[in-house]
Amino acid sequence: MENLIKEIHTAVMEGESNIVQEKVREAMAAGLPAARILNEGMISAMSAVGKLFEEGEYFVPEMLISARAMQAGLVLLKPALKEADIQSTGKVVIGTVKGDLHDIGKNLVAMMLEGAGFEVIDLGTDVTPEKFVNAVRENKPQIVAMSALLTTTMSAMAATVETLKSAGVREQIKVIIGGAPVTDEYAHMIGVDGFAPDASRAAALAKSLLAA
Amino acid sequence: MPAAPLRWLNPCLQPDDLAMKPRDRVLMALNHETPDRCPMQVSFTPEFVTRLRSEMNLGGDKTHNPHGGGNTYELERALGEDLLLTSVGWANSYYQDGKSYVDEWGIGWKSAEYTTPFGTGTYTEIADNPLADDRALASYSPPDPTRPELYAEADWVLQTFKDEYFIVGVTVTTIFETAWALRGYERMLSDFALKPDLAEQILDIPYRYHLTAAKKLTQMGVDMIWLGDDVGAQNAMIISPKMWRRFFKPRMANFIAELKAIKPQVKVAYHSDGNIYPIIPDLIEIGLDVLNPIQPASMDPAHLKQEYGDKLCFWGSVDEQHTLPFGSAADVRSEVLTRLKTLGKNGGLILGPTHHIQLDTPMENFWALVNTITQTNYRDL
Repeated sequence: MENLIKEIHTAVMEGESNIVQEKVREAMAAGLPAARILNEGMISAMSAVGKLFEEGEYFVPEMLISARAMQAGLVLLKPALKEADIQSTGKVVIGTVKGDLHDIGKNLVAMMLEGAGFEVIDLGTDVTPEKFVNAVRENKPQIVAMSALLTTTMSAMAATVETLKSAGVREQIKVIIGGAPVTDEYAHMIGVDGFAPDASRAAALAKSLLAA
Repeated sequence: MPAAPLRWLNPCLQPDDLAMKPRDRVLMALNHETPDRCPMQVSFTPEFVTRLRSEMNLGGDKTHNPHGGGNTYELERALGEDLLLTSVGWANSYYQDGKSYVDEWGIGWKSAEYTTPFGTGTYTEIADNPLADDRALASYSPPDPTRPELYAEADWVLQTFKDEYFIVGVTVTTIFETAWALRGYERMLSDFALKPDLAEQILDIPYRYHLTAAKKLTQMGVDMIWLGDDVGAQNAMIISPKMWRRFFKPRMANFIAELKAIKPQVKVAYHSDGNIYPIIPDLIEIGLDVLNPIQPASMDPAHLKQEYGDKLCFWGSVDEQHTLPFGSAADVRSEVLTRLKTLGKNGGLILGPTHHIQLDTPMENFWALVNTITQTNYRDL
């Protein structure tokens, strides 16, 4: 039983989707609780992946294939998680801001958030402030995450924060931002709750904001 | 097309600046010597060009494509730039007309509008990848890089400006960027880890195309070939140095060797955004002459000069992420002077913004950039 969890952990870290699925099936058949498979097999593996990324051991390809391997396992695990009424860590609405079509950073953050147990509602690219507001009203997330690669589109983050405020939903959520030109200083200036320089730290930031 | 030098149009140029031909200025700098002033190269997004044309009372009804295609070089010459760029390759697919289009590689594009204090602009980005399905590779045929019409602009540029200016043949998006456009970015990145053989086959498509183009441009007489593939993110490389050495180093090494075999004195520049510290020694080893664009928020220019300045020249380095759009004119001037004293010490530098000047740049910052570069003599530093 312990071995199965370890094998799932290793297969997620190595991005082996087929092995993850095979071992998740075995673990479920052996009667291991879905929450344990998720937390000890997969979420802890993605946390290790994040750490290796921060340390410069893993790069984007390794992070991508690990996240996909976890998703492959999660598909099998989801019905059991639902049945056991296991709640996600939290809910995040994410997107690149209006005018910005670059989505690799946003996708990595979404993957690492899922890897940390969050439910992620991905609005995609070129998301207008109004779309963010609607998604907040519909999905009731705790966090809104925005991404921009360029200085010209970064200003849409401030515009989105203003729209969230005027729609009266800003106080219900934490807002986090990231992307190449984004800095802590900018986050402070436009009055959001946090900035992270990479996908792994974005997931850690989201967790810390919920704990606060 | 206008052929006469238009440098007189820049009211800020001093008589001293006319003492040296732009071409000689660049050759000296790349020879690690100090010319009269640092050579300058600046590119712009089409929207900034519209603003600048109006500011300078310059005509020009064509959309200015920073990657090539119908540029008359009027602006570049009026500003006192020293290098003129002519591009052959997939990068010319950026900024085509229409909200969405499919380029000759079968790559689908879409556009998105952004808003700045100086107006709205549009970026074009990849929306559809012809090789998304593994099976598509077998029947895929890329465009033909030997079509004579692809080289008509380069021919004109060389015939018209070669005596005066340093001419750069641009074949950026050389391997990785075109490959990821064909395959899809995340799919391509995953392929490196999961399907390396397939990745190699896809990389070979743009590699062969751009090598053919770069060889032809070299034979035609350009002074430098500019290669490029973004492998750096803001703080680290996108792929590991090990992966880069497996998939890209051998191709880049052969690319450079083939160009130098045609013309030993041709210079080779390479562009990658972001932080690529770990592979700089590899690039030097395979014969790279010039590194671009040196994003100062990602790699410390002074440190680069100290470590690699005797083996490598630099191009770019004025911060497009903070200073140019959000700093003051004094900040821009100060950054240019700092670069001249560090990265540009004893030559080895072509100054310019790290990326195309964007629409969010205040005009006074733009002029601070151009005027500080063109009016600062090395001997006065």
